[in-house]
Amino acid sequence: MIKHNLLLFFRNIKKYKVTFFINLIGLSTGLASVILIYLWVNDELKINAFHENDSHIYQVMQNLPEGDDIDTIIETPGLLARSLKSDIPEIKYASNVIAPNWFENEKGIISHEDTYFKARGQFVEKDYLKIFSWEIIQGDKNTVLTDKNTVLLSEAFAKKLFPDTTDIIGKTIDWVQESSSGKYVVNGVFKDVSNNSTAQFDVLFNYESILEANASNFKKWSNSNPETFVLLQEGSNIKQVNAKIKNYRREKYQSLRGTKYLHYIGTLFLQKYSDRYLYNVYENGVQTGGRIEYIFLFSIIAIFLLVIACINFMNLSTAKATTRLKEIGVKKVIGAHRKSLIKQFLFESLIMISFSLCVAFLTVILILPEFNHITGKSISLSLSLEVVLIILGITLVTGFIAGSYPALYLSRFRPIRILKGKLDTSIGETWARKGLVIIQFSISLILIVSVFIIHQQINFVQNKNLGYNKDNVIAISSEGNLYESNASFISEIKNIPGVLKATSFGHDLVGDAGGTGGVNWEGKDPNANIQFSNLEIDFDWFELLEIEVLQGRVFSDEYGNNEDKIIFNEAAIAIMGLKEPIGKTVKVWGKDRQIIGVVKDFHFESLHERVKPCMMQYYADLSNVLVKIKSGTENKTLSKIGAVYKEFNPGLTFEYKFIDDDYQSLYTAEKRVATLSKYFASIAFIVSCLGLFGLAAFTVEKKRKEIGIRKTLGQGTQQIVMLLSGEFMKLVFTAIAIGLPIGYLIITNWLSRFEYTIDLQISYFLIAGFTVLALACIAVGFQTVNAASRNPIDALREE
Amino acid sequence: MLLELSEIFKWVTTGGNRTYLLKGINIEVQEGEFISLMGPSGSGKSTLLNVIGMLDHFDEGVYHFLDEPVQNLKEKHRIELYKKYIGFVFQSYHLMDDLTVYENIEMPLLYQKYSSSERKALVADMLDRFNIVGKKNLFPTQLSGGQQQLVGIARALISKPKLILADEPTGNLNSKQSEEIMQLFKKLNEEDGVTIIQATHSEANASYGSRTIHLLDGRMVKG
Ligand SMILES: Nc1ncnc2c1ncn2[C@@H]1O[C@H](COP(=O)(O)OP(=O)(O)O)[C@@H](O)[C@H]1O
Ligand SMILES: [Mg+2]
Repeated sequence: MIKHNLLLFFRNIKKYKVTFFINLIGLSTGLASVILIYLWVNDELKINAFHENDSHIYQVMQNLPEGDDIDTIIETPGLLARSLKSDIPEIKYASNVIAPNWFENEKGIISHEDTYFKARGQFVEKDYLKIFSWEIIQGDKNTVLTDKNTVLLSEAFAKKLFPDTTDIIGKTIDWVQESSSGKYVVNGVFKDVSNNSTAQFDVLFNYESILEANASNFKKWSNSNPETFVLLQEGSNIKQVNAKIKNYRREKYQSLRGTKYLHYIGTLFLQKYSDRYLYNVYENGVQTGGRIEYIFLFSIIAIFLLVIACINFMNLSTAKATTRLKEIGVKKVIGAHRKSLIKQFLFESLIMISFSLCVAFLTVILILPEFNHITGKSISLSLSLEVVLIILGITLVTGFIAGSYPALYLSRFRPIRILKGKLDTSIGETWARKGLVIIQFSISLILIVSVFIIHQQINFVQNKNLGYNKDNVIAISSEGNLYESNASFISEIKNIPGVLKATSFGHDLVGDAGGTGGVNWEGKDPNANIQFSNLEIDFDWFELLEIEVLQGRVFSDEYGNNEDKIIFNEAAIAIMGLKEPIGKTVKVWGKDRQIIGVVKDFHFESLHERVKPCMMQYYADLSNVLVKIKSGTENKTLSKIGAVYKEFNPGLTFEYKFIDDDYQSLYTAEKRVATLSKYFASIAFIVSCLGLFGLAAFTVEKKRKEIGIRKTLGQGTQQIVMLLSGEFMKLVFTAIAIGLPIGYLIITNWLSRFEYTIDLQISYFLIAGFTVLALACIAVGFQTVNAASRNPIDALREE
Repeated sequence: MLLELSEIFKWVTTGGNRTYLLKGINIEVQEGEFISLMGPSGSGKSTLLNVIGMLDHFDEGVYHFLDEPVQNLKEKHRIELYKKYIGFVFQSYHLMDDLTVYENIEMPLLYQKYSSSERKALVADMLDRFNIVGKKNLFPTQLSGGQQQLVGIARALISKPKLILADEPTGNLNSKQSEEIMQLFKKLNEEDGVTIIQATHSEANASYGSRTIHLLDGRMVKG
């Protein structure tokens, strides 16, 4: 029986090659997309979730009042971990952690004798290794990091620093990084941190060392610096713990300092550590999503793609029914039960989907590197049992769904009628088919509209005039010896011919501005809590970035002291309501500052944020060096700057970044979505068009006789094409009518993430609709023109 | 003269071999003739009718229809020509299953310039003439074979053609129905002057015509 069915299946493929390939392409691209998306989702879900104690590891989060809003941050007071551990019984272990990016320069410099490397250092307490399961490969897990001056090295750095020996314990290293600089003794080696951890570090230090170095800051309950991680006791009730710690910081603060400034002190809560990666966005203290949204988005797209491919399969199978009536009729007449026919058709769809799965796997293997490139992941197709089972499951379910409708439909016919060549096509069935086509095209259209507008927005973001010129500007962080002597570094590189300007800067232009509510001016409403962004800048900063000065002047050593002067942006002047601001005095943190200039608003954060009020103050020798390079001389100039850098920091590699790249990386997530959805939308649309193409073929086939008659009666080719295509075009029009409004809603929602967006123009929607219509026209037209120009005699030849 | 075929050849090539379907056909047809094409199955009757009706092309020879050289005409022009002057009647009727009798008969008019009231009048006339007024709202499947063929003929006649081409019009009918159809053809020929060329197996049907052409293996033979 199976052999017989297989035979029929393959003969059918031979006879209907086009249908077979349409199905194969549709189902295999659908499956390939689903597999890729599944691998990606799986990888995302595993991030940070690999620690043995995963289900009990929590991070202490803080809701900080900021103006009228609540800002949710991960920084906490420096004594929180030990204090919580001793006060709250549910907390088994706790550790404060200073991550590498707490420092102005994320990387410090580690050296042994004459070997120097940049490395990321992380400061942890001894509980840290009990909370997180980093593997210790040398040294004793229970005794490492007990002494303030000891460190653990990653395996890679141990090898780099001590290439000749494995006997590393007890060796001394030098460390240079701001307040943590000093000599340390290695007392262990840990296995390199894996890629699926968001915490990335090369050296583990004892937290006590940094705590002591910054005691006045870290030991206060009014300040927040390190992160805090805890491991809860088995069976703890998270709600109860949350209730206990909510006001913990406020109570501590109040008991020491009273109620003054208590309203600046935040409340605490726990978030599961491995959830933080996916649920990373808080708005006004409420969890509102984050990366999980992209997981949802792409899971939905994956389902859509499969649905579209299944619809093709269903439509083409039922449409093909007309050509298989004889087979079904004969089988029924010789006594086949409906059940056996259903089995046969399901069997066929399962073979089809198995074929498709093979093709899908090949496709995945081929495009996985590119996919990794786009998503910034390093996924490999390692076929664990779980992955295999899930992929097989998806495949079987798809095959079953795709096959069940045709199976039920085809097995339903009564044999005598179909042997006479009469197919009772119910109205419901034609509607089902039409409905499916409408669904396909609505989905395709929604995807196309979204992709098109996302693309416009990304273009807009990339090319928007930001109010400053980011071309050919590089940033170098003042690491190593530069930290102490960047003024002489700057004055030396200024002598390089390709260096147009150089200055120093305490922040960056991609969101790392400080903020404060501590600005006071005449006429300020005493109850208002207005936040100002704070940029610390050096001479030449405005000139280098070509920021337009609207009133007054910028910092300069020609007019005496700059430290008591201040410059605002337009937004700040507007919110303060100052008329003729130049020369007026404001108080910043209690000190008088005279306004010397007002500059045009420029974007110092991503376009997700509105330009906020901003003040700029002068400081010398800030931590980032900005250099404007003459265009056309980039390579030469960079190598010269590198040479100067080497004089200051011998042994270290010269690292720099173009601030344009920095700016572009603000939109990495959006660009990823844009690129991926572009591919998936194209797939959805192409597969839909293929389906339409196949369906048109069958409709035309069914209408062969009608077309023949019409032609012998004198109807022209053109009229027949219009008549045949019209029916399909109606479906596509309906799909457009459904898809455009939904697309509009989705895209306005997405755009609302940005404070600065393109104006949605009708033409965007018209273009998308027209594209869909035009390509659908081609798919259908190809068939109908073909059919309409055939010689009618072929269709009408008497048997 | 209505049409003239001289030295018409038609062949198909399969696997490099030429199979001749028509071999040197020479026919002159005057207006008002009623011609029967006879010959066994596969002798080329249908092929010849299709060539005459311009539905099929031929490979060699000259065909004049109302003095127009058919082999030189553009498709558009050819359609115009047969739309205006030729009506087809088929053995298996070829009616549109999802159109009613009325709509089937009306169909050819839709492709020509008639107002809707003109169309109504013409169809009503036709229904009347063939005594099928009562059936006008029925679908083809609800009629007997003879009635379906009547509708087929009515549809062929509605645009007042000069020439009716009938390919075994009674092939699917019983003898009584056949006779009725033949009587109808005769009447059309004699009273309305419609030229008729019919293909048939049956001597009896052939005898209604004024002239019989015999075909064998795509060649004209003496009767
Ligand atoms: N397009 C074609 N290709 C090949 N053979 C054809 C084609 N059309 C007709 N024939 C053959 O030509 C011969 C004449 O057919 P036809 O004109 O239908 O005969 P009749 O109508 O007299 O029965 C038959 O043998 C038929 O099989
Ligand atoms: Mg024939």
